[in-house]
Amino acid sequence: MEWKHRHVLDLKDWKREDILFLLDQAKNMDNLIDRPIKKVPALRGKLVVNLFFEASTRTRVSFELAEKLLSADVVNWSASGSSVSKGETLRDTAWTLEAMGADAVVVRHGASGSAHYLARKLKRAVVFNGGDGAYSHPTQALLDAYTAWKSFPNLEGRKMAILGDVLHSRVARSDIQVFRTLGCEIVLSGPETLMPFDVKSLGVTYEPDPWKAVKNADIVYLLRIQRERQEEGLFPSLDEYHLRFGADEKLVSKAKEGALVMHPGPINRRVEIDSSIADGTQSRILQQVRSGVAVRMALLYLCLGGVMA
Amino acid sequence: MTLREKAKLMSETDMERAIRRMAHEIVEMNKGLEKVVLVGIQRRGVFLAQRIRDVLRQFEQVRVPTGELDITLYRDDLTLLHDHPVVHSTSMPLDITGRHVVLVDDVIYTGRTIRAALDALMDLGRPDIVQLAVLVDRGHRELPIAPNFVGKNVPTSRDEVVEVRVSEIDGINEVVICERQEG
Amino acid sequence: MILFKNATLFDGKTFYEGTLDLLVREGIIETFGQNVSAPGAEILDLGGKVLSPGFVDLHCHMRDPGFEWREDIESAAAAAAAGGFSTAVAMPNTDPAVDNDALVRYVIEKGIRAGYSRILPAGAVTKRREGKELAEMGKMASAGCVLFTDDGAPVGSSRLFRTALQYSQSLKVRIMEHPEDTSLSRGGQVNEGRCSSLAGLKGIPASAEEIGVFRAISLSRETGVPVHLTHLSTRESVSLVREAKKEGLAVTCDVTPHHLRFSEESVIESGFDSRFKVNPPLRSSDDIESLWEALADGTVDAIATDHAPWHLDEKDLPFPEAPFGIASIECAFPGVFTCWLNRGKPFGLDRLLALFTSGPASLLPGEWPSHGRLTRLGKADLVVLDMDLERKVAVEEWKSKARLSPWEGLSLFGWPVLTMVEGRVVFDRSRE
Repeated sequence: MEWKHRHVLDLKDWKREDILFLLDQAKNMDNLIDRPIKKVPALRGKLVVNLFFEASTRTRVSFELAEKLLSADVVNWSASGSSVSKGETLRDTAWTLEAMGADAVVVRHGASGSAHYLARKLKRAVVFNGGDGAYSHPTQALLDAYTAWKSFPNLEGRKMAILGDVLHSRVARSDIQVFRTLGCEIVLSGPETLMPFDVKSLGVTYEPDPWKAVKNADIVYLLRIQRERQEEGLFPSLDEYHLRFGADEKLVSKAKEGALVMHPGPINRRVEIDSSIADGTQSRILQQVRSGVAVRMALLYLCLGGVMA
Repeated sequence: MTLREKAKLMSETDMERAIRRMAHEIVEMNKGLEKVVLVGIQRRGVFLAQRIRDVLRQFEQVRVPTGELDITLYRDDLTLLHDHPVVHSTSMPLDITGRHVVLVDDVIYTGRTIRAALDALMDLGRPDIVQLAVLVDRGHRELPIAPNFVGKNVPTSRDEVVEVRVSEIDGINEVVICERQEG
Repeated sequence: MILFKNATLFDGKTFYEGTLDLLVREGIIETFGQNVSAPGAEILDLGGKVLSPGFVDLHCHMRDPGFEWREDIESAAAAAAAGGFSTAVAMPNTDPAVDNDALVRYVIEKGIRAGYSRILPAGAVTKRREGKELAEMGKMASAGCVLFTDDGAPVGSSRLFRTALQYSQSLKVRIMEHPEDTSLSRGGQVNEGRCSSLAGLKGIPASAEEIGVFRAISLSRETGVPVHLTHLSTRESVSLVREAKKEGLAVTCDVTPHHLRFSEESVIESGFDSRFKVNPPLRSSDDIESLWEALADGTVDAIATDHAPWHLDEKDLPFPEAPFGIASIECAFPGVFTCWLNRGKPFGLDRLLALFTSGPASLLPGEWPSHGRLTRLGKADLVVLDMDLERKVAVEEWKSKARLSPWEGLSLFGWPVLTMVEGRVVFDRSRE
C-alpha cells in the first residue's frame, strides 16, 4: 500500500480504501495501548509541534499521547503567551517552527482553511489538522469512523443521524465526508437556524423532526451545543433545545436496537444529551476517546514514518 | 527497477525437509519443549513458525505456543524504505517472561530486522533465552547477530534478492533468488 | 506623428471592414482609411491586429492617498496602461477619503505627473465616507470628479442616498452604488450556498446584494436620477437591472472580470486561498451564466475591474483573516476575452470590446464619453490588441504593487501590446 496523503488537512480526497486501510492500521495501534510497555520507537528523533490557537485539552492531549507512544519529541506551542498574541502572522510562525526543525505540526486554529494555509507555507514539515474553524476536523472524524467500525465492520448502507449545531461544526462536516465515503446514509436534524444553508451540497438530507431523523438509525451522533449560539439569537434557550432535540431514552429508543450513540465531547449533560444516554450501554463516548489515540498514532506513523524526511 | 528470477534455491520438498530438521534441532537445543515459545516475524516468519509448530506436534505430541511479532514500529530504516511498511498485528499467546523464545523469520540478511525484533520482544516481556531460526541465511551481516537454526546457507551478492514464498501468501512454497534489473 | 498600418479598426461600437491605416498627429486622430500616407511619420504595421479606443475602467482602487504601500497612483496608472486602459477611475476609499475638491485635484495632478494612463477621480458621496453628511459634490464635480461613490460600502442610509441622487442631478455626475445590505453580509466570508455550507465559513447571501440593487433602482425611479450599480454578481441582481432598463429607467451596471471567470468552487478547490476572497464573493456557476447572459443581451453596460491591490503581507493570510479584493487590471481584458473564446464566442467581439470602451466611457460626464469612440479629430486614446498572443499571467512582473491574484499562472489570449493616451505611447509590450 502506497500512502498518498502527505498532510492530513481534510478528508475530501480520501477514498474508501484509504479510510479502511487507516482503520486497519489503527487497530494494530490500539492493541499496542494494552501492552505493559506501550511505547514504540517508530518516530524516534522526529519533532512534532502541537500548535494550538484555540484551547482544546482533549485533542491536544490525545495527539500528545499518540506522539509520545511513538517516541516522537513533542513541543506544545499555544497561542497564549507566545508571539502569536504579539501579532506574529501564521506564516511567520510556520517558518519559525520549520527553522526549529519541526517534522510535523498539529494545528488547531479558529479560521477555516488555516491548516491548508499552513501546509502551503511549510516546505518540509507535515501538517495535521487538529480542527480549523467550522471546516474540518479530520482526526475526529476518523476516530469516529474507527469507533463505529469496531461495532459495525461493514458500514455500507447504515443510517447515521447527526443532531445539533451542524452549521458551526467542523466535526459534522468531516464526519459527513468520512461516513458518506464508507457508504452511510446521513440525516441531519436540529433547529433550522443551525443548519448549513445548502444541506444538499453536503450530500445529506435534513429532517427537522428529530424523532423521524433518529428512526431506524444505526448511529446517533450528537453535537455539542454552545451557549454562544443562543446569545447570537440562533435558538431561544438551552432548555428549549433540550426539550426539542435533546437525546433521552425515548428519542434513542426510536433508533435501531443496538444503535451506537456518539458525541465528540465534551458533553453538555441535560442539553444535547441526558445522562441516561451518555452513560448507557449504547454510548460509545469513552471508546471514542480511546480510539482517538490509536487513530492519531496510525496517522502520525503513516505520514511521518515513511518516505518523508 | 524490476526483479528477474535467476534460480530456484529450494523446492517445496526442500523447505519441508529443512523445517523438519530445524524443528528437531530446536527440541535438542532446548532439551525438550517445556519452555519454548515460537514467535514468527511478520509476515512470512509467522507461517514458517506455524509449520515448525505443526512438525513439533506431529513428532513430539506437544502443542508449542506460537505468537506473531510485527517489528515495523521498531525498524531503524524507515526513512530509507521506498514502500511504506504496513503495520501488522503482534500477538502473543502467553507472557514470554521466563520462556525460551525462538524467533522465526524467512531470510536473515543485514540483521537489522532481528535487531528490531529483539527490541520489540523485550518490550513484551523478559524471556530467559532468545534463539533465532531462519529458513535462509544469505550473509552480509551488518550487526553481530547470528542464527541458531538455519534451513540453508546461500552465498549471495548484494544485487540479489532472496524470496521465500509461502502458500498462505504467495500460493506456492519455494525459495528463489532474483536479480535486480534497471528499468 | 504615428501611422498605424493594416489595423483592424474598432470604433468603440463596431468594426470597420478589412484593414485600414490610422494617423495620429499631436494627440489627435487626424484621419483613418485606406492607404493613408504621412511623410515623416513613425510607421507601425499592425499586420491585422485590432486597433480600438483605449479601455476605460470605471472602478479601480489606487489606494492613494494613504495606503501607498498597497498601490499608488503612479503604479496604478502604469498597471492600467499595461492592461490596455487609457483611462481609469480612482476610487475614493482612501485615507483621507477623496471627499473634497482639493483631493480631487490631487488625484488628477498626480495622475498627470505619473505620465501613464489618464487617472480620473471618483469622489465620495458622503464626508469621510461615513454615510452621514453629503460631501461637497458640487465643488468636486467642478474640480473634475467623474463619479460619486462610497464604494467599499453602500451609501449609508436610503434617505441619504435619495438626497444624494437629488442633489447630484444637476451636476451631471453619476452616483455609482456598491449594492450591499450590510446587516445581511456582516461577518460573511464567501457565497452563502455551496461554499459556505461546505467550508463552514459565514456566508454572504445573494439577498444582501439584491436588496441593495432594488434600493438603488427604486430610488432612481422615484427621483428620476440615473444611478450606476457596480460589481453585480448574482442572477437576480442583473435581472432587476434588466427589468429596470425595460421600464426605461436610467439604471446602468457593470460586472467584474473575476465574477465572470471564477465561482465559489475556486475557494474550496484552492484550499481556501485568500486570492479568491473578494466582495461581493465569488458566486455559483449559475450566477456566472447569468452574468454572461446579461453581457449578451445588453443588460450590462461595462466591465469594470474593481482592481483591489493589497500588500502581500496583508493579503497572504488564512482566508477568514485576509481582506477582500482581487487585483486584475493588467490582465482584465485577456481574462474576459479568453473566457469569451472558451465559451465559444457567445456574442460578437464588437459587443465585448464595447464593454471596455464606449460602454464605460458613456457613463462619464462632459467630454469623456467621446474617449470611448474612435473618431476623426478625436483624442488619440488607443489600444492595440493581439488577439492571438498567448501568455501566462505572471503577477511578479506586474507594474501594480499587488503580488497575489487568482489570475496568476493562467494562460490567456488577447493581450494589449500598445496603449496610447492622447498620442503618447504609455505602454509598448515590444519594449518591455
